[in-house]
Amino acid sequence: MPKAYKQVPFAAIVKSPTVNNQGMVTGNWRYLRPVVDKGLCTECKMCWISCPDATVNYSKDDGISFNLEFCKGCGVCSNVCPVGAINRVPELDFED
Amino acid sequence: MPIKKRGTGLTAVADAWQLADIDVTASYPIRPYTAVMAEVAKRIANGQMKCEMVHGEGEHAQFSIAHGASMAGARATTGSSGVGVTYAFETYSPIAGGRCPIQALIGDRTLDPPGDFGSEHTDCLTLRDNGWIYGWAENAQEALDNSLLCFRIGEDPEIMLPQIVAMDGYFVTHISQDYVMPDQAQVDKFLPPFKPEFRLDVNKPVIMGPQIEPEMGPPLEWDRNVVMERVKELIPKATAEFNKIFGAKYAPFVDEYMTDDADMVFLLQGAHAVTCRSAIKYLREAGYKVGMCRLRWIRPFPDAALQQILPKFKVVGVIDTNTSYGAAGGGGVLLVETRASVSEVANKPIIQGFTSGLGGETITHEEFFKMADMMKQTLDAGKIIQSSTWVNFNDYDKAAIEVKAAWEQAAPSTK
Repeated sequence: MPKAYKQVPFAAIVKSPTVNNQGMVTGNWRYLRPVVDKGLCTECKMCWISCPDATVNYSKDDGISFNLEFCKGCGVCSNVCPVGAINRVPELDFED
Repeated sequence: MPIKKRGTGLTAVADAWQLADIDVTASYPIRPYTAVMAEVAKRIANGQMKCEMVHGEGEHAQFSIAHGASMAGARATTGSSGVGVTYAFETYSPIAGGRCPIQALIGDRTLDPPGDFGSEHTDCLTLRDNGWIYGWAENAQEALDNSLLCFRIGEDPEIMLPQIVAMDGYFVTHISQDYVMPDQAQVDKFLPPFKPEFRLDVNKPVIMGPQIEPEMGPPLEWDRNVVMERVKELIPKATAEFNKIFGAKYAPFVDEYMTDDADMVFLLQGAHAVTCRSAIKYLREAGYKVGMCRLRWIRPFPDAALQQILPKFKVVGVIDTNTSYGAAGGGGVLLVETRASVSEVANKPIIQGFTSGLGGETITHEEFFKMADMMKQTLDAGKIIQSSTWVNFNDYDKAAIEVKAAWEQAAPSTK
């Protein structure tokens, strides 16, 4: 039986996703959760641009928030924050 | 108007990059590559070239910068030598697999055995399994021409592969020589602007180099295999077009010299071909029916061309200016590849290997004479006498045999 391989696009170049990939949920890798202190946050969006997985969200109404379904807890956001507004809190401290 | 110039292989490539109007070049100094980055920096400062020059903090970063620039749609170049080439090793396969047609200039250099900095092909030959298009230039003119030819082949929409313009360190990169810088109009006719189908663009966002599942790997690698075959088909076409526009006379794959009536040929690549030609003139006068085949490309390897050409001869002496310790047959990379190319050809010649010109040494006339003498002995014996010979170490030519006999007579117990 010849094996039928999946069709792969040229150089595996694909359109950027517009929805979350439920086939690769990575939030359960995290043991330290980023928590933003809205009182300190200046909304400079350094964390938003630095997140390697695009899991930092920003909106004018709510400011900075995190997509915890995919955030791996790498801590880059906390490191780049110029005002120290992002704390990394152990996952076991949370109910969910 | 084409301009007659005196310069080195590196100024010649800087000329090619200027004519090709490159957008980005990524640099990190290492001799002999350094001279091209100095030359390009000077031209940018003088306003001759409009190009962004980015310095890496090492060769790994340097090649990654060129990779990123290419993804963004830039015609990008970089380059290195010796241990710099190997320091960037991780980046070569992703660049080729990502189908980013950057161009690297490699002025070859030994891989520090230890502390040597002379020319040797080993550094660049270690890249042969990564899917880059490359071959060695013989002189400054060919370095310039190969650079333009490589852009044309690598950036072809049907190809999209990175290329290396390789040349012997010092011999080509630093010896001053005459060459002709072609006219801009000629280059514009030959080399269309770089317009990749996919690039990083905020208006049409794509992911390049995503994580893939294991069963997506083989089809991608099959594609890279197929495209190399396509390169083999494009090289003769592009070379013919190049020859027509620039009035050059390049053979597509193998440059032959005095092979019409030859029994034996030297097979080599790069700058040692210059000395080889002049040695052949003396050898012809001494009655040796010898010629030369110079490989213009190492990847893709010109196997079909060699299958056509080599059966004309009785003995082929493959000169390896590189090491591949423990390789089949005991020689270097070229010996293995040449033997493999014609292994299934019925009337194939006897192929023997020579290792010479390591560590930046010139292959002298005398050494070519010794090799010819050994090939003659093979020819007369009608079979291989020694699979591969390190010239000046385990030769079996007339003079070497006499020296060995003298030693044995002087100290018979020595083993």
